[in-house]
Amino acid sequence: MTIHLSIVLWLPLAFGVLALLVPRSLARWVSLLGTLLTLGYAIALVADYDTAAGGLQYVTDRTWIAELGIHYKLAVTGLNVVLLLTTAILFTAAALWAALRDEPSERAGLYALLMGLAQSGVLGAFLAQDLALFVVFFDLMLVPFYFLTLIWGMDPDKRGAAVLKLFIYTLVGSLLMLVGAIATGVLAADGGSVSFVLSDLQQHLLSNGSQQWIFLVFALAFLIKMPAFPFHGWMPDGYSQMPIAPLAVFTAILSKVAAYGFLQVAIPLFPKAAVQYQELILIFALASVLYGSVMAFTATRLRLILGYSSVAQLGFIVLGIFALNERGADGALLQSVNHALVAAPMIFVVALLAARAGGSEDLRDMGGIAKRAPAFAALFLILSFALLAMPGSANFIGELFILIGLFQAKVAMAFIAAVGVALAAVYALRLYIRSMHNRVGPQVDSREISLREALVLVPMVLVVIALSLYPQFALGRVEQAVKQSLSAATATAGKETP
Amino acid sequence: MTSVLASVKGPEIDWAAFSPLLGLFGGALIVLMVGLSSPRVIRAHGVPALTIAAFGATIGLLIWEWNEQVSLIQDALILDRLTILITLLVCVAGIASTLLAWREQAAREIAHGEFFSLLLIAAGGMVVLAASRNLVTTFVGLELLSLPLYILCASRLRSERSLESGLKYLIVGSVGSATLLYGFAMLYGATGETDYAGILTQVVKEGLMGDALFLAAIGMTIVGLAFKASLAPFHQWTPDVYEGAPTPVTAFMSVATKAAALGVIVRLFFTALLPGVDDWRPAWIAIAVISILVGNVGALGQRSLKRMLAFSSIAQAGYLLVGVVVVTELGAEAVVLYLVVYLLANLAAFAVITVRERETGSDAIGSLRGLGARSPILAGAMTLAMLSLAGIPATAGFIGKFRLIEAAADGGYTWLGIVIVVGSMISLAYYLPVVAAMWRPDTEPGVDPATGRAVLAGGAQEAEAERGGWEATLVAAVMGAAILVFGIVPQPLFELVGDVLKGFGTG
Amino acid sequence: MLSTYAPAIVFVVLGTIIGIAFTVLNGVLGTSRPSPAKLDPYESGMASEIKQGFRFGISFYLVAMLFLLFDIEVLFLYPIAVQLRAFGTFALVETIVFIGLLTVALIYVWRRGALTWK
Repeated sequence: MTIHLSIVLWLPLAFGVLALLVPRSLARWVSLLGTLLTLGYAIALVADYDTAAGGLQYVTDRTWIAELGIHYKLAVTGLNVVLLLTTAILFTAAALWAALRDEPSERAGLYALLMGLAQSGVLGAFLAQDLALFVVFFDLMLVPFYFLTLIWGMDPDKRGAAVLKLFIYTLVGSLLMLVGAIATGVLAADGGSVSFVLSDLQQHLLSNGSQQWIFLVFALAFLIKMPAFPFHGWMPDGYSQMPIAPLAVFTAILSKVAAYGFLQVAIPLFPKAAVQYQELILIFALASVLYGSVMAFTATRLRLILGYSSVAQLGFIVLGIFALNERGADGALLQSVNHALVAAPMIFVVALLAARAGGSEDLRDMGGIAKRAPAFAALFLILSFALLAMPGSANFIGELFILIGLFQAKVAMAFIAAVGVALAAVYALRLYIRSMHNRVGPQVDSREISLREALVLVPMVLVVIALSLYPQFALGRVEQAVKQSLSAATATAGKETP
Repeated sequence: MTSVLASVKGPEIDWAAFSPLLGLFGGALIVLMVGLSSPRVIRAHGVPALTIAAFGATIGLLIWEWNEQVSLIQDALILDRLTILITLLVCVAGIASTLLAWREQAAREIAHGEFFSLLLIAAGGMVVLAASRNLVTTFVGLELLSLPLYILCASRLRSERSLESGLKYLIVGSVGSATLLYGFAMLYGATGETDYAGILTQVVKEGLMGDALFLAAIGMTIVGLAFKASLAPFHQWTPDVYEGAPTPVTAFMSVATKAAALGVIVRLFFTALLPGVDDWRPAWIAIAVISILVGNVGALGQRSLKRMLAFSSIAQAGYLLVGVVVVTELGAEAVVLYLVVYLLANLAAFAVITVRERETGSDAIGSLRGLGARSPILAGAMTLAMLSLAGIPATAGFIGKFRLIEAAADGGYTWLGIVIVVGSMISLAYYLPVVAAMWRPDTEPGVDPATGRAVLAGGAQEAEAERGGWEATLVAAVMGAAILVFGIVPQPLFELVGDVLKGFGTG
Repeated sequence: MLSTYAPAIVFVVLGTIIGIAFTVLNGVLGTSRPSPAKLDPYESGMASEIKQGFRFGISFYLVAMLFLLFDIEVLFLYPIAVQLRAFGTFALVETIVFIGLLTVALIYVWRRGALTWK
């Protein structure tokens, strides 16, 4: 029983509240300080994580609501340890971005509070070892993004409707998930005292029938949050209206909570259903890969290109998870980290590109931006290569693992998925070439990246490179936990196909 | 003849346990008399202060009687945990509504003494209703709560809307009362008893389950109670009445009436009519589902906040019924817990509406625009109220909904839990625009978007706050804070409503 | 059980039939020769002075209503007065409380000016 996880969990929110109280000019820096401290704490936790021992570490377990059987149980596991660090990195980058660019110009304190709440929410969802607590954080982390978009969103006329759509879409999933979670707890207790602690629930798996509908409910919630085709209806509007820094965080890490949810909650608690619905989920994932890639290739708004590429990448991650073998799931977790680390700086690049193309985010208004900006071009190119999973990048290893895993499970699907890899190259290179090279756009003003911009972008590119050089940093930590997470499902699958 | 009369004695009355009721009714008399005094300051400020004192004294007496379970007046009324909890809710709602009504136009128009003593009498009626264990006292309680509310609804004498509201409520309410009375008469006809305990014994002894008269009685009773609790499809009066009535009265009605109605539903159906559970359960389930759907769909696209909250209250009553139909102790606990949560959110919302109505003269959603920048306390309270009603985590509403769904799953009605969340999803589409209106930056700074008048910086704002009244702001702040605190630390709530069925059925 | 009500039902049915029959027969068999004098309201041979649209003063309703209220409340006192000895002290106390409440009401009505004729 330690207090470390509670500190790392609530530190961002505490600094958010502090930022609200200090003078306006200081708010952004207080927020940055909070994320930096969280990052430091996260680094210490990751460094101290005992890979060999595995299991739950730094466990904090207190009864939160005795009558409901909800525990405030947090722990670092192999599954979440790297994602924890990724979250801290991304929010630091977002805070740095806001601080260096003096964004937003109005109500900076409220902004800092909401970002702090968002970070605490995401960290909570990753750390929670109690089903109800997970659901609480899963819902809670969405709330600040509603306000962030509402107050600082792009188009004053459209953002209200867009964010309402986003909110309702994703809450449809998570509210159904709430019923599923409560039913799980009640049914597992079977008349006894209800407990939502994950390890308790794993001891009393539900009957086949209950598993099925509850699994579907959870899967729906996660697929909407990712988003996966055909549940991505909120994505185009939501992405278009969100302000830059929150969007970077949103696309990078909130979608990963959903992927993580599959491994942390859905598969261990409902193994039979997971095996049964494996193909269904794989088909959704495959459709996401293909649909996302094609849409990313045809879209012209930069945000939407990245949005649809996220759909495709998340599709890959789900493919890896629902290969239901270790290789695939290892790759999926690695890819989650990779995509998070690439997607966030890409969003910042979008803002920089737009600033050089007369404020337009449309690819058709760009071109030739690389002319007087070689350093910017180099950074963008590295990120693009990482996005398309160039051999040598960590993304390549992630996708390779996913495909290997999928080949072991479903050969036909693996062949189709391989097409998606090629498509990623097409849209990533199109994005780069059409914006940086080609004919100079009408309002393009090619400028080199400024020091302030570089201060955000360069460290993030360095992180991407570092992970490419040493993917074992992530893989080594997740392997054992993944094996455990899948054990019940593989056992079920083994029984059915002896 | 004389010998029979000679044996008539006064009923046994437990005066200590009876004291909360005396507090309310005695307070009503005192307030009425003080309202006659000539100095204006006593009428305008002394009377509401005395009203709060009466409610406060009642709460004090409740705490004194906290662990009692005794029958009052020969089992016509009972003081048990359920009665105490409902009374507590009614008194809190009463205090909040009194604070909201402190500067209310309506209170001046029909005289302060009358306004506030009617409020106290209605509260007393609610307590009688929740405590009654006899068909006759149930009906008396119902009328005692309804009649003052009819008058209070029409208390803005110069507003046509208000008069229409009162008249409509009177007519529809009378239909409800008549239906209920007819149901009670048939229940008496079928069992020959007016006493809940007696009815229970008779039903079991005579095997009346499925009997035509008994079924008809249950049907009429359900319809009558559904009218009073504004459950769909007997809800048509609700939006008009809520909209037309003075806002503090609407606040009181929406919260306290619902608490009392749910209290009597739990008591009547968990005791007297329990053997007929298979007969009445499908009816209540149908009403719950219809209420959730009709309420939530009806609230979509409403421009008036009060109308929107009227529809939302129909939906919320539907959620509450889910706790009733499972017929478990967990269900009853979930109902009372949700009533508390609902009270906090609704009072916070109505407090904000009261302030904005005084400042802008309108209760349209547009009247809230720009509130986030100008008055973060009010906007924060309203935001928390809306999120709580929608059931977002970190608000008390989430805990309440969690408990209700758990009760549903526990009782084998998980699908009703799904109906609840489907309702919550729809509800987001009308709760969130309210939040959006408050926090979205003003398109034209310096102009009050609701009135179109220029807003002066600094001094003018303070003047506005003065007009809105600090009492209403206080109510909003307290309720908002409670929503947040109980959302994060709900343990006290559970301890409060735990053992809700303690002493249930004694006497 | 129902047979005990039979005479009453017969009575109601017969009454209805005969009532309707006479009304209808009167219209069918009788002659109708209306004149202004016949159609005027009967006022002891005097010309009618009631104008259309006449309204009672609002105070009349108010006082009439208050009278009815108190009248009916007082009615409750009769049975108790007759049998007070049998009911005992409890009823006496109850009655005093009841009259006390009525007095409060009366004072309120009086002080609010409802008894002043306007």
